[in-house]
Amino acid sequence: MLLDLMSLAWAALAGHRLRTALSVVGVAVGIAAVVALTALGEGARQYVIQEFTAIGSNLLSVLPGKTETTGAMPGMGGVPHDLTLQDLLALRRNIHAAQYIVPVSMGTETVSHGERRRQIAVIGSTTEFLQARELKMAQGQFLPASDVERGTPVVVLGHVTARELFPGQQPLGQVVRVGEWRMRVIGVLAEIGTQLGIKMDEVVIVPVGTGMKMFNRSSLFRILVKVRSPKDLDGTCAQVITILTERHDEEDVTCITQKAVISTFSSILQTLTLVLVAIGAISLTVAGIGVMNVMLVTVAERTEEIGLLRALGATRGNILGVFLVEALMLAGLGGMVGLLVGLGGVHLLTWWYPAVPAAAPAWAIGAALALALIVGGMFGVMPARRAAKLDPIMALQRR
Amino acid sequence: MTVMDLIQFAGGAVWAHRLRSILSLIGIAIGVGAVILLTAIGEGTRYFVLAQFTQFGTNILAINPGKTQTLGIPGILGGTTHKLTLEDAVALSRIPGVEAVVPMAMGMGRVETEGRGRSVNVFGVTADMPEVWRFTIGQGEFLPIGDWDRATAVTVLGPKMKHELFGDQNPLGEIIRIAGYRFRVIGVMEPKGQILGFDLDDAVYVPVANAMRMFNLDELMEIDVTYQSAQMVERVLEAVRRILIDRHHGTEDFSITTQAAMLESLDEIMRIVTLAAAGIAGISLVVGALGIVTMMWISVGERVSEIGLLRAMGAQPRQIFLIFIVESVLLSVLGGALGVFLGLVGALALTWLLPGLPIFVNEQYLMLGLLVAIGTGLLSGVAPARRAIRINPVEALHAE
Amino acid sequence: MIELQHIAKSFEVGGQPIFALRDTSESIQAGEYVAIVGPSGSGKSTLLNIIGCLLRPSEGAYLFNGEDVSQLEDRALSHVRQHQIGFIFQSFHLVPRLTALENVALPMVFAGIASSERQLRAKDVLESVGLSDRAHHRPNQLSVGQRQRVVIARAIIMQPAVLLADEPTGNLDTHSGQHIMELLESLNAKGLTLLVVTHDPNVARRANRVIVLADGQIVKHVKGEEMSAGSMPFV
Repeated sequence: MLLDLMSLAWAALAGHRLRTALSVVGVAVGIAAVVALTALGEGARQYVIQEFTAIGSNLLSVLPGKTETTGAMPGMGGVPHDLTLQDLLALRRNIHAAQYIVPVSMGTETVSHGERRRQIAVIGSTTEFLQARELKMAQGQFLPASDVERGTPVVVLGHVTARELFPGQQPLGQVVRVGEWRMRVIGVLAEIGTQLGIKMDEVVIVPVGTGMKMFNRSSLFRILVKVRSPKDLDGTCAQVITILTERHDEEDVTCITQKAVISTFSSILQTLTLVLVAIGAISLTVAGIGVMNVMLVTVAERTEEIGLLRALGATRGNILGVFLVEALMLAGLGGMVGLLVGLGGVHLLTWWYPAVPAAAPAWAIGAALALALIVGGMFGVMPARRAAKLDPIMALQRR
Repeated sequence: MTVMDLIQFAGGAVWAHRLRSILSLIGIAIGVGAVILLTAIGEGTRYFVLAQFTQFGTNILAINPGKTQTLGIPGILGGTTHKLTLEDAVALSRIPGVEAVVPMAMGMGRVETEGRGRSVNVFGVTADMPEVWRFTIGQGEFLPIGDWDRATAVTVLGPKMKHELFGDQNPLGEIIRIAGYRFRVIGVMEPKGQILGFDLDDAVYVPVANAMRMFNLDELMEIDVTYQSAQMVERVLEAVRRILIDRHHGTEDFSITTQAAMLESLDEIMRIVTLAAAGIAGISLVVGALGIVTMMWISVGERVSEIGLLRAMGAQPRQIFLIFIVESVLLSVLGGALGVFLGLVGALALTWLLPGLPIFVNEQYLMLGLLVAIGTGLLSGVAPARRAIRINPVEALHAE
Repeated sequence: MIELQHIAKSFEVGGQPIFALRDTSESIQAGEYVAIVGPSGSGKSTLLNIIGCLLRPSEGAYLFNGEDVSQLEDRALSHVRQHQIGFIFQSFHLVPRLTALENVALPMVFAGIASSERQLRAKDVLESVGLSDRAHHRPNQLSVGQRQRVVIARAIIMQPAVLLADEPTGNLDTHSGQHIMELLESLNAKGLTLLVVTHDPNVARRANRVIVLADGQIVKHVKGEEMSAGSMPFV
């Protein structure tokens, strides 16, 4: 029966090729917009998650300062209690779930070699920083393992920093000036790109003791803790806060897990995608109205045919089915075309601009088709009911 | 055939098929309405954001330590070769044309009264702060005028902070502890709201010297400079740069942001976002246009014999073409007008439902919406009208 | 007034030219009342359409008031139709959404006549066909006879020189057919050239003369009164 209805509907649609094509294109434009926007939004979300997990989802950061103020970023400005290297050592002694506990101090310095000088972000840390941030060496060694408070005058260069300070030269063993300090280059990081907004290729890394003396700071920028498995994150955070609260006599540190940051970003992006898709879906409503209009015309044109079918014994339900299937086919066809166009567009976009993160999630394919059918059904019901309600005698007598 | 005749004739045809005409024009109306509503929200947000920034005045520039290129946001990381110091700020206040200079250091500290305490932002500033940041004092007075490097244990509370610590009681003269130091409350600010995530009402203000001491800071986070008139911006900017480079032994290790430049780039970003949203909504206009094309095409098909008659009566192909174009434009203009109405009603409903949402309806966008609708109608009418003039009158008259 | 010289009209069907009209010459004087008869497919309609400037002949010349209109461009032909020719169709071709008055006024709209004048003239003409009380009815509210009178009113509103009627009584009963023919003849009596295509011998015999077409050619000229009632020359 359904197949019969479909072949009947197909014949009717094929009989009016142009108007069928226009209605299909209308639905297709809407579906393509929804698919493409979903792909862009989902791509962006995946990209952000990937960015964060690249640094390690098992990582948590401890920042000095704590505020009840919503939104304000802890770590701005000064704090009454510093996050010190002694705090770091205390954490290392007491937290056993942690794989690495790494201090980070940060500043900006003029780094120069001969005539070449640049203002560069300087990171002070320890040898475990390499593993904690999952960095790779291109050449030489990372910072040596040594007493955290000892400041040896050695430096590791980021990929771009090395290229710019030593164009065409071997940087290993050379001496650079970092601020007032003369330091020996012992290694160069492999290219990695931007991580969390910090261009890791454009930094220099020094031992944390050296860094703190260099910036004349008593507080660390933050302490990174890498745990063995994600399920340890929350417990470790609580432990860190307990230990530091005891040491500082008050709770004045903030502990952030990657998980929390990821889920915040993820939900922001999801909302954004949803809003964009909703705006795009307005066009689907318009396309639905178009389908309804065409179906109304079709019903009016085929009044005589409907009368005949009814005279031949078709029930109201049969007539309803005929026109509903026609509307559904119109919308479904539009859905398929729109899906292809949307996916093709996304494909083309990523091919043209590989930097744009865009990927249609698998569910979007089903959802797009379902959405098209829902539109067809919703806007097809009214015309189909109108057809079903026609009085067969009146319908035959028309004309 | 006058324009009036055309409209009358086309109007008759539109009216004869009311239901389908209404459905076709609703398609356009939804598109135009969506575009208007989204641009209204976009414009509203733009003005809201701009107002947020201009509330600090426009003739202001901010100096932060560190060059911006490497890390995006200056000042967060500190630890530059040469600190931005109170002496730098004093030097800047001598530049001709400069009205006021506020050195600022901030930190986070626990603020306590007996029994109550919270960790908030502590801003170290000077007496000129209310003038420079356009703040008003609600109660009491602001920090006293005096040497910037002299610490005085007095504080002014943000209104939210005052409410949290004292409720409805009078805080003036009370002693509170900030990061362990005792301060006497001498004033309360008027509410100012949040900016970029900083709740300026949930904060305390102390003399900059006190803040630097209590947070163990040896540099400022920011120096804000106001100047007398917008025309001076270049001259003041240059003077600031020259003096600081000079004081920092020849290195430009600070960054200067003028309010004007910041406003400009913000404005630009907001415009692009608004345009993008409107563009996405505009897709529905395209779909609406397709609907009109479809209906007009069907209409031409139904009126073949009418077209033949008109031709037999001596109507020129040009006139037939115009009849259908006018019909299409009529549909889209009615749709556009309905869309403008829907957009306005939607904007009104939104301001009523979500009073916090900034909405601004720009008349230019209303006109633009109507113009776009007219253009849509013109374009949608072309193909059906061309079909109409290609109809052979002899065949049309025999088609029954 | 109408001078056809060796007119031929062919249509392409499947790449082959099919002649609907061959080497036809005819001359019609102003004020004449001519009937065109012939079996289906004999070329009656084609002839009428060429005379009505709806079709251009493939060959030959067509002089209308001394001017060769056979190869005029579309615009100029429209102009001739607008001012010189009135059409009456078997199936009326009234615009269903317009009232009788509006239908009658329609030709003046395209001629650029002012709306106020259109109203006056349309009312006058409707009155002359006896339909002033039906001015604001739509076609589906009129009887078929009334509809045909609206069509006649519309055909004469621009004061044409020639009235072309294609089976004007074809959709009417005998009685209203009689009325319509009397109306047309009264117009002819006032000097309007009248051409009627028909296969009703009772209509044809009322004409001054009858042109008999067969197989795309004029085969015979007859005087109207020579037509015997109830029989057609080609039958």
